[in-house]
Amino acid sequence: MELTDADLVARVLVDDDQHAFGELVRRHQSAVRGLLRQLTRTDVALADDLGQQTFLRAYKNIRSFRGEARFSTWLYRIAYNCFREDARRRKELVGIDEEQLQTQHDPQATNPGLRHDLMRALSLLPLNERSAVLLCCQNGLSHDEAARVLDIPLGTVKTNVLRGREKLKRMLVEWGPN
Amino acid sequence: MEQVNQEDWLDKELREAAPYIHDEGFTARVLRQLPPPRRSSDLLRATILLGMTFLASVLAYIVSGGGRFVSNTFERLAALPVLWVFALALMTGLVIAALGAAVALSRGRGLETSFLRT
Repeated sequence: MELTDADLVARVLVDDDQHAFGELVRRHQSAVRGLLRQLTRTDVALADDLGQQTFLRAYKNIRSFRGEARFSTWLYRIAYNCFREDARRRKELVGIDEEQLQTQHDPQATNPGLRHDLMRALSLLPLNERSAVLLCCQNGLSHDEAARVLDIPLGTVKTNVLRGREKLKRMLVEWGPN
Repeated sequence: MEQVNQEDWLDKELREAAPYIHDEGFTARVLRQLPPPRRSSDLLRATILLGMTFLASVLAYIVSGGGRFVSNTFERLAALPVLWVFALALMTGLVIAALGAAVALSRGRGLETSFLRT
C-alpha cells in the first residue's frame, strides 16, 4: 500500500525520517523543478538550485505545514518564494511589457515547433501573469490555491490568468484552431 | 463554442508542455544537504529527563528524613490485621494488572496501524 503525502509528512515530523522525506522529494521534484524552470525562463541550473533550496526549506519548516492545503501547494509556495527572493537579489523581477512582447515575438523563429513557441510565449509574459498561468493551467491548481501560493488576492489571480491566456492566444494565433 | 475549443487547446498544450523531469540524482543531492537527524537531541532529552528524575529522588529522600517514612509505613502495615494486608495486596495487584493490560492493548493497536500503513 502506497503511503500518502500526509503519512510521509507525519513520519518526518515524528521520527525525523529522512527516507520518508526522500520519498516526498522524489514524488514532487518534477513538478517543482518544472515550475521553477518556467519561472526562471528555462535556466535549468538556476531552477535546480532553487529546487534544492525549496526542498531544504521545506524540510526545515515542515512543522509549519498544517495539512490545510495539499503538500504540493505548500511546496509551490516555498518554491515561488525562493524564486522571488533570488529574483529580487538579481533584480530581475521587472516584467516585460506589451511593447517588448510584440518586438520579441518572432514568428520566423528557427525552431517552428508549437512546443517551442509556447515556451517562448510563456517566457515573454510578465512574471505575475506567467506564474498564474503556470500554476492554474499547467499545474492544475485552483484559483484559490494559486492565490495562496502567490500570496495575492483571488481576483488578481483570475485577472492574471485571463490576461496571460489572452496574450498567449494572441502570440500563438497561428497554431490555434480555426 | 470556438472560444471553448481554443481554451481547451491552450490548456492541453500547456499541460503537455510540462514533461516529467527525471530525478537524475536530484533527490540524492537534496538528502545529502539535509541536517543530521534529531537522534542526538533525543538522547540529550532522555539524559536530562533521567538526570532530573534522579535529582528529584535524591531531594525527596533527603526531605523525607532519609526515607524514614518507608520504615514507618512498613511498621504500620505490620500492625494491620492479616486479612487487611491480603486485601491491600490483592487490590494493588489488580490495579497493576489493569494498567498493564491497558498499555498492552494500546501498543497492540499502534502496531496494527503501522503494519496496515506499510
